[in-house]
Amino acid sequence: MRPFTYTGAKNTEEALQAASSNANAHYLGGGTNLIDLMKEDVERPDELINVASLGYKKVSSNEKGGLTLGGMLSNSETANHREVRTHFPLLSMAMLSAATGQLRNMATNGGNLLQRTRCPYFYETSMPCNKRAPGTGCGAKNGMNALHAIFGWSEACVAVHPSDMCVALAAIGATVEVRQSDGSPRMIEFIDFHRLPGDRPEKDTNLMPGELITAIHLPQPIFSKHYYYLKVRERSSYAFALVSVAAGLEIQGGRITKAGLAMGGVSHKPWKLIQVENYLSGKTPDQANFEAAAELAMKEARPLEGNKYKVEMGKKSIISALTQAYERKA
Amino acid sequence: MMNTLKASGVGASINRVEGRLKVRGMAKYATEFPVENKAFAQGINSTIAKGEIIAIDSSEAEGLDGVLAVITYKNAEKLNHLEEEMPLLATTTIAPVLQSAKVNYYGEYVGVVVAETFEQAQYAARLVKFEYKEDPDPTIRFDESKSKAYKPKGNSDYLRGDMEAGLAEADETLDATYITPIEHHHPMELHAIIASWENGKVTAYSSQQMVNESTIAIADTFQIPKKDVRVITPFVGGGFGSKLNTERHVILAIMASKLLGRPVQMTVTRQQMFTNTGMRQQNEQRMQLGAKMDGSLTALSHDTLSHTSTYQEYQEPCGMISKMLYQVPNNQITYRLIPMNFQTPFAMRAPGEATGSFALESAMDEMAWKLKMDPVDFRIKNDTQIDLGADKPFSSRLLIECLRIGADKFGWENRSMQPRSKQEGNWLIGYGVSAASRNSPYQESSSKVILELENEKVYATVQMDATDIGTGSYTIIAQTASEYLGVPVAQVTVELGDSRFPITPGSGGSWGAASYCNGARAACQNAIDTLKQNKNIGKDQDIPVAELLKQNKLKKYEAEGSAAPSEAFKKHSVFSFGANFSEVWVDKHTGMYRIKRMVNVASAGNILNPKTAYGQIIGGLTMGVGMVLSEQTRVEPNFGNFITRSLADYHVPVNLDMANIEVIFLPEEDKIANEMGVKGIGELGITSVAASVANAIFNATGKRMRHLPITPEKLIEAQVEPGVVA
Ligand SMILES: Cc1cc2nc3c(=O)[nH]c(=O)nc-3n(C[C@H](O)[C@H](O)[C@H](O)COP(=O)(O)OP(=O)(O)OC[C@H]3O[C@@H](n4cnc5c(N)ncnc54)[C@H](O)[C@@H]3O)c2cc1C
Ligand code: SF4
Repeated sequence: MRPFTYTGAKNTEEALQAASSNANAHYLGGGTNLIDLMKEDVERPDELINVASLGYKKVSSNEKGGLTLGGMLSNSETANHREVRTHFPLLSMAMLSAATGQLRNMATNGGNLLQRTRCPYFYETSMPCNKRAPGTGCGAKNGMNALHAIFGWSEACVAVHPSDMCVALAAIGATVEVRQSDGSPRMIEFIDFHRLPGDRPEKDTNLMPGELITAIHLPQPIFSKHYYYLKVRERSSYAFALVSVAAGLEIQGGRITKAGLAMGGVSHKPWKLIQVENYLSGKTPDQANFEAAAELAMKEARPLEGNKYKVEMGKKSIISALTQAYERKA
Repeated sequence: MMNTLKASGVGASINRVEGRLKVRGMAKYATEFPVENKAFAQGINSTIAKGEIIAIDSSEAEGLDGVLAVITYKNAEKLNHLEEEMPLLATTTIAPVLQSAKVNYYGEYVGVVVAETFEQAQYAARLVKFEYKEDPDPTIRFDESKSKAYKPKGNSDYLRGDMEAGLAEADETLDATYITPIEHHHPMELHAIIASWENGKVTAYSSQQMVNESTIAIADTFQIPKKDVRVITPFVGGGFGSKLNTERHVILAIMASKLLGRPVQMTVTRQQMFTNTGMRQQNEQRMQLGAKMDGSLTALSHDTLSHTSTYQEYQEPCGMISKMLYQVPNNQITYRLIPMNFQTPFAMRAPGEATGSFALESAMDEMAWKLKMDPVDFRIKNDTQIDLGADKPFSSRLLIECLRIGADKFGWENRSMQPRSKQEGNWLIGYGVSAASRNSPYQESSSKVILELENEKVYATVQMDATDIGTGSYTIIAQTASEYLGVPVAQVTVELGDSRFPITPGSGGSWGAASYCNGARAACQNAIDTLKQNKNIGKDQDIPVAELLKQNKLKKYEAEGSAAPSEAFKKHSVFSFGANFSEVWVDKHTGMYRIKRMVNVASAGNILNPKTAYGQIIGGLTMGVGMVLSEQTRVEPNFGNFITRSLADYHVPVNLDMANIEVIFLPEEDKIANEMGVKGIGELGITSVAASVANAIFNATGKRMRHLPITPEKLIEAQVEPGVVA
């Protein structure tokens, strides 16, 4: 590991101040991603500003009638919180499918949003990778890309965002609250938080330098009866998704009044299927409509050489997730 | 008296004698020895697959605080070198390193940094800059390099009868190819060493499976007398074959210690465990089978195409199992190897059988389906009590019993031959079976026993250079001494893993338990016999050992002993056998599957301790599940490095992946195997699990999965076999 200094900020102002005075500083949440990447020599901050002890560790009600999740609350405490389980079980289910108990205990909500891709080229400093070292080329595009994107990729980068939590947040719809360098808050709609790679794959999100994530606001309780998070992977835990689907349905009088649908493991950002959500709205929750939804979802898929399987897997996973969400006994 | 004996002698289900040390963190592994004044070494890896180093700039690293030395081929001491072209890699093979500018594969050691602290060494290692002249055409793609395959010298081709005639006379034939990927051993404990070179003598606290072999390899590499090398490895956190030989970090650490005149610790990182220890290579196994409608096999061939490095040969004996398992008159085994720009592969987790049985036992299932015959009956039909490949009778073979008893316990009669006939919601449910066998290569082994009389009690210390790689060696050796000395286990101390102790064959190939315990038995028996002889007491007279010492007027007595394979052993084929039954549920949408339960029956001779034996089998089954479910190392197709580079990408099974497992040991007395009737268990559990699960997946889905691991994406892409009602 490269030498670095550690700043134990006492309050938010100190943290923001430290970050704005050093462009090479990184905030430290649970460290489960950042420290790994530092050991691999991928991230090379010369200063870590600990933000995990600044507070922001509560789940509270917000004025929209929803819940606000503290940015520094651990993934475990969030997923197992009674209010979250009751009102946003889809989020809870997705979060509990991630990583392992130990990692979830350490990982913070803010850190989860900012975890970086697991593209193996990104991790190996001897390989070309535009995300890690802009201008060196994308090793995956013409190399091993079985685990990569089928939506929204660019010639510069075909990586996927690895988070499970974020897929559920995309399906539910959320707002991220950040503090800007001057201490003032800024709200970012969740679908605008992460970005597609374009020709700037080194930028994962639309966060400005030095901005600190303090909260995630959830809307009024939704999909608390009909929900499912389907994560396809080769072993039953401690593995990232090949493909995942967060599905939520509101059903009234035998019809879908609102659908929430997003996919993981398919794009540079959590892939919210807005068109499909709209398509399902007003339809009856049956196999034919679920199949049509899956077809629609995959219409624009552009698989790479090594990940054609994701199209079929994606379709079937959508059908399966919607079916299991619908059939779930409350 | 009788009771204490039964509670601790051979066959008793006692807890690990070293268990308390381990759970309290007091069992010392290689780098936990309190060696004073040690420095830390960190290896540097090449970043090209083939070529030459043309420039090295170590100035930045050398300028860092704490850095003591940067060693590359330019300043490394000259070591013994591999003599011939493509020599065989064996357990005593020398491990020369940093001897030239040549790069043979991506990740090969090109240098080592030594510093005052581990962190300094790691940081500095990243700052050494290498410039390469790359060879534009490294051999890194298996599929495109088949024309480079040669006939290895390590394993010869074999033919019995006439394959063509055998196939011609068959009613049904099968020609199928099975692929297993590159896999890595990944024991929990990383390869590690603390090395000291002092006055021309080497002391190595090094995590090794074979102590004596390691002293030979070190001595030969540095061209010093073997007696000047001491290897100490009392606890090993797993090896799975990767610690059988002496790897290059051992040599690097010793070299650095010699250069600096102080002890040097070196740990191979988890990432380096992919490139700087052995691995299992990719295998492509083509199976041809012919059978009559009555189920009798007429022909069986097993052709294996694998790869080795460009500088050494290792050939996994995949075809071995097809030579001996069934009654088949016409039999052909071949091997071909492609020299590729990767490190030399080496024995991994039941080498030969684990991969060979996947091919053979899948092919047997395919043939049973063609014949519309029950796969258990098909195997029983082709049983043989003679090892046709070796032309020797088996010392004992209870394969039929394993299959029958397993089928009964499992509820095999509820299986429908037609795939896809059992469904529950999303799930397609299937049953699978496979037969297993594993050679029991018992070997000569020695030990020393020290008896001490204290307050009417005899305390025994047994010493040998054996290793306990997590398997339970300490426990079963203590039980053996307890049995043959007639003292409780609590009065026995076992000391292992030091080259100063009597020589054993070490842990590997499932020979440890039989060899160690018979060695210990011999020493104990020698002690008792001599003590009796001295006093003219008849051999058969039953006198407690404490009484014997008293009569001899001795407070302390030492004896050595060794045991070796008998003439009868050499005239027989000695194997353990088993059968694995599994129930697998496949999600028809996503291709994810769950192994719901397994019944594993083993006939493995005398079970020394049911608890440790059970641990061995479930450990083996877990490795088998890893093979079928998820384990694979992927090669970057353009650069030739392994892009599977940590345990986050190299997926071993988690608890949730493991089934409900029932393990049954059949009572088996095999005195030809050795005097104690002990056979190998370690690798028996691994063998055939992959086939059992793959066969269950066929029964569930009608899809024939011939390429490991069987992942969701492969299952989604696979087609239902012709003839299966979808
Ligand atoms: C082996 C392994 C398996 C895993 N499996 C999964 C999985 O299956 N699914 C899944 O979703 N995740 C998985 N994870 C990832 C895990 O969820 C993330 O590592 C974790 O959520 C990151 O949170 P953290 O608090 O530890 O972040 P850190 O590592 O502390 O930080 C990550 C990044 O976020 C920044 N940061 C942290 N907090 C803030 C803040 N408040 N404001 C602004 N910036 C901030 C840091 O500067 C850093 O750049 C896995 C991780 C590992 C190591
Ligand atoms: S996909 Fe993105 S992260 Fe992966 S190598 Fe290409 S640029 Fe790097």
